[in-house]
Amino acid sequence: MNFEFSDEQVMLRDSLSRLLDQRYAFELRRRIMAGQAETGIWSELVDMGIVAMPLPEACGGLGGSASDIVAISELFGRHLVIEPLLPSVILTGRALARFDPAGPVPQWIADIGTGALRGAFAHEEGSGTGASSTLSTKLYEGEAGPRIRGSKKLVLGGGEAGVLLISALSETKAVCLAAVPADAEGIEVRRYRALDGRPVADILLHDVAVDRAAIMAGADAELEALLADARLALAAEAVGAMAVLMATTADFAGTREQFGRPIGSFQAIAHRLADMKIAYVKARASLLYIAALADSGRATSRDISVLKAQVGRLGRETAQGAVQIHGGIGMTDELPVGHYLKHILTIDGLFGNTDYHLREIGRVVAAA
Amino acid sequence: MNVDFDPSLEAFREEVCAFLDTAPTDAIREAGRKTTSVFAPFEATMEWHRLLYARGWAAPAWPVEYGGTGWSLEQRYIFSEEHWKRDLPPLLPNGLIMVGPLLMELGTPEQKRRHLPGILSGKDYWTQGYSEPSAGSDLAALSCSALADGDDYIINGQKTWTTLAHKANKMFMLVRTNRDGKKQQGITFLLLDRTDYPGMHIRPIIGLDGVAEQCEVFFDNVRVPQAGRVGAENEGWSVAKALLKHERGGAAHSPAIRRKLDAIRAAARDATASFGGPLSEDPVFQRDLGELEAEVASFEHVEKLVLSGHALADDPAMPSLNKVMSSELSQLLSIMMTRVAGIDALPLQLEALEVGSGVQPLGDPFSLVAMPYYLNTRAASIYAGSNEVQRDLISRNLQTLRA
Repeated sequence: MNFEFSDEQVMLRDSLSRLLDQRYAFELRRRIMAGQAETGIWSELVDMGIVAMPLPEACGGLGGSASDIVAISELFGRHLVIEPLLPSVILTGRALARFDPAGPVPQWIADIGTGALRGAFAHEEGSGTGASSTLSTKLYEGEAGPRIRGSKKLVLGGGEAGVLLISALSETKAVCLAAVPADAEGIEVRRYRALDGRPVADILLHDVAVDRAAIMAGADAELEALLADARLALAAEAVGAMAVLMATTADFAGTREQFGRPIGSFQAIAHRLADMKIAYVKARASLLYIAALADSGRATSRDISVLKAQVGRLGRETAQGAVQIHGGIGMTDELPVGHYLKHILTIDGLFGNTDYHLREIGRVVAAA
Repeated sequence: MNVDFDPSLEAFREEVCAFLDTAPTDAIREAGRKTTSVFAPFEATMEWHRLLYARGWAAPAWPVEYGGTGWSLEQRYIFSEEHWKRDLPPLLPNGLIMVGPLLMELGTPEQKRRHLPGILSGKDYWTQGYSEPSAGSDLAALSCSALADGDDYIINGQKTWTTLAHKANKMFMLVRTNRDGKKQQGITFLLLDRTDYPGMHIRPIIGLDGVAEQCEVFFDNVRVPQAGRVGAENEGWSVAKALLKHERGGAAHSPAIRRKLDAIRAAARDATASFGGPLSEDPVFQRDLGELEAEVASFEHVEKLVLSGHALADDPAMPSLNKVMSSELSQLLSIMMTRVAGIDALPLQLEALEVGSGVQPLGDPFSLVAMPYYLNTRAASIYAGSNEVQRDLISRNLQTLRA
């Protein structure tokens, strides 16, 4: 058994940390969220090989493993990074790499790998669960070829994407994935930002024509794999955010004085800090363990649900505790604390929240 | 990263299974099914201890030179997993996990020669004399005194929560030998060769679960040899801390906890939900079971990271973290057990719980143990340093590290 990052992963994390310390400092955050800060970070991520890393080697990537994705995503969470590595590369790029290499698909993958093209995974329709049983978008045979009709919500990076990976049901109710250029006729994009500043979009698909070469039929397993990757990467972000919350809150409690002594010396505060540590240790252990399981191809959907539920529940506990211990100042937008709270809440809401995953775990476990 | 035990350990697992499947007697198996505490039913568990000793497996955590197995942490985890899967009674901890390893570290050659063989073989059972009526979480406030007199000490005072003192034939204890200076100074660690010295009086205490597991021990001018002192006079506090390291270190708790959750899942399939249908299909139950499963899984992940030697293992707060996590998880499981048992948890069935009583329980075996386990497990967040004290330590460590 070994749950440490490899030497290569540690080196990559070191240089990524240095980059994010400089270019993603909290002081820049308001401008980054408003789309005003020219951080140049995306091209730096390309140069560092991080953008291509998750793609298979045959597609010009480095064949990034689950633990590679976790190693990077955890640091993204620490720095509140909202760059579209997850929707573009980890989800869309990697899924396209499992399509038959025909039509426009190979070029899309190549361009995603160089960072020139961005992809987005248009899946959510409103249930918030990610479950394929709730899909209603239709892929059907039109007069001049396949078309797709439906509406998608809260698509990460959906407004900036050049190519959309869309989940849909065929006329026989089979789960399919279809990729279309984002500027295809009949696509209507409504951009906005999520609670934590991530650029997102609602996407309406008005009978959009689909290149037959860009369809994967019978994609149940592929969709599950996509959801697992999304949940794993988001969980890693949440654990990164929890680490910062725990550390900054412990610092604050050690320096903030009331009644003539540091508030961390009061048992009520001390015990809340202890609970933050307990929550963090559990969440991070599950992250590393399940990353290792995923590396060996043995992470079940139950394992992934455990991770997603734990970071949702323990993350919220931690972030709410951090706001409480900071007191009034914790309520302001000036401090990072609230930003981390909103990061964690956004993560919890994506691809199945805590309640969904707990119920799902219980359902599976009770029947086993 | 790699989640697997060393593949060469599969043969070891098979060897363990073969023994555990065949060696235990019916009484031992019954004791395992009726275990509702950290301390399994005494007589049958000591019988199991002696069978394991004969096999050479009584002390998985002891080094070979003292008659232990010399097993790696992974081997110990595998043994524990297989042991719990079969509902066998865990060996009583005071000798094997507490005073034995302490003597290896700090005992004189004579003390090791005198005491370790009896601990290993299961001939002797040791009780722990630490707490007093006015010294619980604040253990250093203890006042039970020992006065040097020739080659002896004369002990006066009282100890309490001396688990199984009425079954034990040996005792280790902390006594006050000096009242000057800081309260941590002036404490001495003693080994008592007998629990029936003249002037020693043991009174069992009936617990919430109706069982006499705890005792109080009174000392009225009890004369014991000074040769039983571990470490120097007045240096007992550091000896006690060394013992605590053994008590809290090493052993994995997640196999026992996983086994409890398995029992809950199985029982839920036969239980009926309040509004009809099997409990296992009730949405509220599923959600709560899901939360328990997630918590159990995370705790397993923590323990596996620690035993793999991950950096987490070096966190100085880890003993306290593990104590809080394992005790509170046990309590959550105990609550769920009583929920699943429903009204079958309400009959008071002390006789049916006794090993060898032959009294048939009113409900199923799961319901028989649910409430006693719940009641006994209230103690988990109190003993071995209350969880409030542990949280103080965790928080102090976190704040110091950040300062």
